[in-house]
Amino acid sequence: MRRRDFVKGILAASASAKALAAQQATGAAQASPPTAAHTMPAPGPVAPGPVPWMRGLMEVKPLQLSTLVPDTVAQTDAHFFNEQQTATMRRLCEVLMPSLKGYPGALDAGTPEFLDFLIGVSPRDRKQMYLSGLDWLDAEAQRRFFTAFAKMTNLQADALIRPWLRTWMTDHPPTEEHAEFVNAAHTDIRTATINSQAWNDAARARGRNSTGVDLYWYPVDPDVHRDLTTAVGAMRPVENK
Amino acid sequence: MADETVDVLIIGSGHSGGMAAKILTEKGISCLMLNAGPVADVHKDTEVKPVSSLPFRGFKQPGILPHVFQSNEFNANTWVDEKEVPYTYDADKPYNWVRVRLFGGRSLFWSRQSFRLSDYEFKGKSHDGYGDDWPISLADVAPYYSRVEEIFRVTGRAYGLPQYPDGNFVPDNSPWSSSMQRYVAAGEKMGVRVCKARSSLGVDGLASSVNLLLPDAIATGKLRAIPNVVVRELSVDKNTGLVNEAHFIDRLSRREMSVKARVVVVAAGTLESTRLLLNSKIGNSSGVMGHYLIDQIYGAGMICSVPDARDRKGTPDVMGGGGLIPRFRNIDSKAKEFARGYALNIYSNTGPAAPHYFAAYGEELQNQLDSYYGSTLSAGIMGEVLARHENHVSIDKTQVDAWDIPALRIETKYTSNEFNMARDAVNVAVALAEDAGFEVLVKNYDPNPPGYSIHELGTCRMGDDAKTSVLNKWNQSHDIKNLFVVDGAAFVSAGWQNPTMTILALAMRSAEYLAEQMRMGNV
Repeated sequence: MRRRDFVKGILAASASAKALAAQQATGAAQASPPTAAHTMPAPGPVAPGPVPWMRGLMEVKPLQLSTLVPDTVAQTDAHFFNEQQTATMRRLCEVLMPSLKGYPGALDAGTPEFLDFLIGVSPRDRKQMYLSGLDWLDAEAQRRFFTAFAKMTNLQADALIRPWLRTWMTDHPPTEEHAEFVNAAHTDIRTATINSQAWNDAARARGRNSTGVDLYWYPVDPDVHRDLTTAVGAMRPVENK
Repeated sequence: MADETVDVLIIGSGHSGGMAAKILTEKGISCLMLNAGPVADVHKDTEVKPVSSLPFRGFKQPGILPHVFQSNEFNANTWVDEKEVPYTYDADKPYNWVRVRLFGGRSLFWSRQSFRLSDYEFKGKSHDGYGDDWPISLADVAPYYSRVEEIFRVTGRAYGLPQYPDGNFVPDNSPWSSSMQRYVAAGEKMGVRVCKARSSLGVDGLASSVNLLLPDAIATGKLRAIPNVVVRELSVDKNTGLVNEAHFIDRLSRREMSVKARVVVVAAGTLESTRLLLNSKIGNSSGVMGHYLIDQIYGAGMICSVPDARDRKGTPDVMGGGGLIPRFRNIDSKAKEFARGYALNIYSNTGPAAPHYFAAYGEELQNQLDSYYGSTLSAGIMGEVLARHENHVSIDKTQVDAWDIPALRIETKYTSNEFNMARDAVNVAVALAEDAGFEVLVKNYDPNPPGYSIHELGTCRMGDDAKTSVLNKWNQSHDIKNLFVVDGAAFVSAGWQNPTMTILALAMRSAEYLAEQMRMGNV
């Protein structure tokens, strides 16, 4: 285990110790007789038990535990898109990013559920683009093929999607209505799939290294007073009702 | 309680602050450096991870860093969060203010492109009549460029072009790949010179204040530094008119503190420096402070494919390497639709093509990605934005940051000069690609929003006339002789060049001047 994980372990232990100390301190305060300590320099915090609570943590060897990302064993609970939008999204994922050459497709990678989460915590304009885009796809399917998008054949879906595909340079995606949604959804579906645990597992099963490996920066001395209300608000899923 | 007056207070630790600290301490002058953020320890603060293990699968937390196009989920924690340090702008005139407050600032993360300005920039008005000349010329700065290039180990090739001044280079004798040779040949036919680019090798791949400048200052024993302190204001002694104190806030505890200083060197990074001075209400008798905000246009460009490199035939002799087309417009002739000029970065890529270069999906797209792998060649503009009085920053009294410091309001936009320049650049890039026999996959004429280049410059420009400029030719305040601004705020014009080498050279030059003035007792 890396040093950081060790430090996290210490912090977790510290938090538990503080909670327990808080519980025990009440009783200890009631039971303690008055002393002359008020005239002495304030001592450092002392654990109420017979053993200093941090004893041994400086010397402990890192825990040899191989941890999992939750996607390895768990499903994302989706609740942003409504039932019809979810069905449309699942079919769109299936069409745009099928399983190929032994790598998982978007459905195998849990992409529809992940995007339900991601879009649900995204800014309002991105939410709206997805909601109206999925509704538009389904309406077009009904108008032109008299069926739901979720039930379209690959050929029918292609007839709806292909006219809106564009080429574009980084930072300059198309902005025209429908093309914006189709190309953004395509990019998001690809990214969510290729960056998934399922894709990583498939790469490793083929003897390849983990995909998309890079240097991740933890917060450096994060500001404990930082007001996150705005940011947290942006993160809170909003029901699509 | 401490009652010390420090000799020189340096605010900021990036390339300019680091250079000032190095020069001053090596001359025996004690310095105290204040930095708004913490010291990063890569061994403690980072971990190599697969993207699949990140909370948002590499998408970045939605809603954060909307103006930092360069950010991703791996590096999101290194940038200044604009919710914490906000700035304001008109909705129809967005600005990408990209900031780093870690010790070393943006010198930790930059492209390494290392160019000198030429006299087409220093003396631009004399050449074409637009704007203002700098109060200095290339000849004034050249000795400092040479020393900076040695420290940063700039690699390059000499061409003898006046608009692309040669320097003190680690020789670049690398051969062109054949794809680049074809692009070079196409350029020659059209009178467009494709050269080798120039970049800082640094040491062990890093070319930052934290490994090339600050260690020298620390070694003198003359540099002390305080991280995590946000400077709110500088104050001036009413009797002497000199700046004498900095008031700052402990970033973590919010404790307000002050430190006295004999000299203050501001190096907080162009707009943060100007914000501090505007909030302090000092050094602006000219009324020019905040005006003439400039940068460079990026984002317009072209992607093409080299046909004979497709299907994994892009071997190292075919693909790889890059080049630079230095400014060629408005040198010996006059362009009809825009003043000044641009450069183009050219890269012959050996990696994957982006999916959005193709209007396809599913198996068809995958087949194209497989075929085009290692065959793309890109061209991107670096264009000069003209200095205009109306492009400016001011203090927004309705908005404060997390430490209750008034925020900056940025009002700037590109005009037809920049848009026409971008269009010309893309058309030139495409014409060369087509002449070379390459397939153009995608092109884009629209520049990214102002600020994207992270080359914001000006707003405390230098000049000989105290009525029309904030600083003199030594980066010294016209109004307050013990106040120096040594970062990009001093620029008079932007040029097309990455400004890092110029910022470093001017900071070195200014610090040596300051040391001499202190020795003589003038400051």
